[in-house]
Amino acid sequence: MDHMIKIKSLSKSYGKLKVLKNIDLDVSPSEVVVIIGASGSGKSTLLRCINFLEKPQKGTITIDGKEVNHKTKNLHLIRREVGMVFQHFNLFPHMTVMNNVIEGLTQVKKVPHAEAIEQGKAMLEKVGMLDKADVYPAMISGGQKQRVAIARALAMNPQIMLFDEPTSALDPELVGEVLQVMKSLAEEGMTMVVVTHEMGFAREVADRVIYMDEGQIVEQGSFEQVFDNPQNDRTKAFLSHII
Amino acid sequence: MDFATFLEYFRTFIPAAWTTLQITFFGILVGVLLGIIFALMRISKTKFLTLPAKLYISIIRGTPLLLQLLLIYFGLVNIVRLDRIPSAIIALGIHNGAYIAEIFRGAIQSIDRGQKEAGISLGMTGGQVMKRIILPQAFKRAIPPLGNQFIIALKDSSLASAVGVQELLLHSRQLASANYLMMEMLTIAAIFYLIMTSILTFLTNRLERRLKVSDHRV
Repeated sequence: MDHMIKIKSLSKSYGKLKVLKNIDLDVSPSEVVVIIGASGSGKSTLLRCINFLEKPQKGTITIDGKEVNHKTKNLHLIRREVGMVFQHFNLFPHMTVMNNVIEGLTQVKKVPHAEAIEQGKAMLEKVGMLDKADVYPAMISGGQKQRVAIARALAMNPQIMLFDEPTSALDPELVGEVLQVMKSLAEEGMTMVVVTHEMGFAREVADRVIYMDEGQIVEQGSFEQVFDNPQNDRTKAFLSHII
Repeated sequence: MDFATFLEYFRTFIPAAWTTLQITFFGILVGVLLGIIFALMRISKTKFLTLPAKLYISIIRGTPLLLQLLLIYFGLVNIVRLDRIPSAIIALGIHNGAYIAEIFRGAIQSIDRGQKEAGISLGMTGGQVMKRIILPQAFKRAIPPLGNQFIIALKDSSLASAVGVQELLLHSRQLASANYLMMEMLTIAAIFYLIMTSILTFLTNRLERRLKVSDHRV
């Protein structure tokens, strides 16, 4: 089976600090990969490289058969295929919820406004936010903002969804509603790469769990393999901290 | 001076006030246009654009407006022969352009980096992100300092009196020395300035409030 994401010997450094060291990672269509690791382990940087928000110095990333490296031009065409959800939502505060969701459709895909609204309604319906379509982001809760952010990314009909600690900035009681949306997305067969500390989500939804440390993939496998029977001492040490 | 005489003098200030308004309005217009252009140049990634912008800003901010005005009106006489009012408008525009460029630059750079990333990850180009996401938010943030700058520009337009533009200050000084009415005529000029700056303040405050719609929380 062809891979949806194929990462080959990816390296990224900031000055002398090596953040990613020769990462290889393949993700199959409809696979849900959860990346865990301490802060500073490079997990967010890896995710941001898949979307080319960070440019790696070395290595290639192939998205759905299209290879990209640090020299590739027109990255914005490839980014359309990859949806991104951020820790701090990054909704556009000067636009209503609906306009946030249709911004990519009208500006990037040049979908006519009326049609974009229809699609936007469907996306907001999907994340349970249709009733807030006409309000501004400042008026809704963190969990609601993140659901809108997911709808905004989904509206572009991406092949892949990336989640960068999507619940880390939320009050505990709001985490569930976001994870629920992500879970139903996974059930629909979306290819997902998720950086998270939510171990419950990893257990329930992840096809594969990756543990990263110091810019390397130290351990990977099913949730049970990684959690119940870690092979690497660093993984064991990390897990003993979080459980 | 009785009230009727006062009113008589007061009425003669109206054309001068109109001139002050015109210089200020067109000066600000030029200033805002230059400000946008130089702010974008200043934050660009190519030295070819940032260097001229830095040079412009430091030269203009480093020299007095009065000197710049004299330079344009008298100094350029062998190159271009500009009339009084166009000279004043150009000087005011170039001068304010430097300050407004810095206001816009500050506002643009104050927008959270995540906004750009969100736009980019939707597949927008750099230009689209700037136009649709960054600038609308930056404009909003720039309004209070811009309003401040506009008030400064209005008052600075009085320097046009130095090249003989018949604006508020020159008019009041001429009437004052012709009639030995220093206190009275300067006070009338002050009243006109106060009225105009108050209107400007009111307008910027209203604009600020209007654009705040999206900030209201529950």
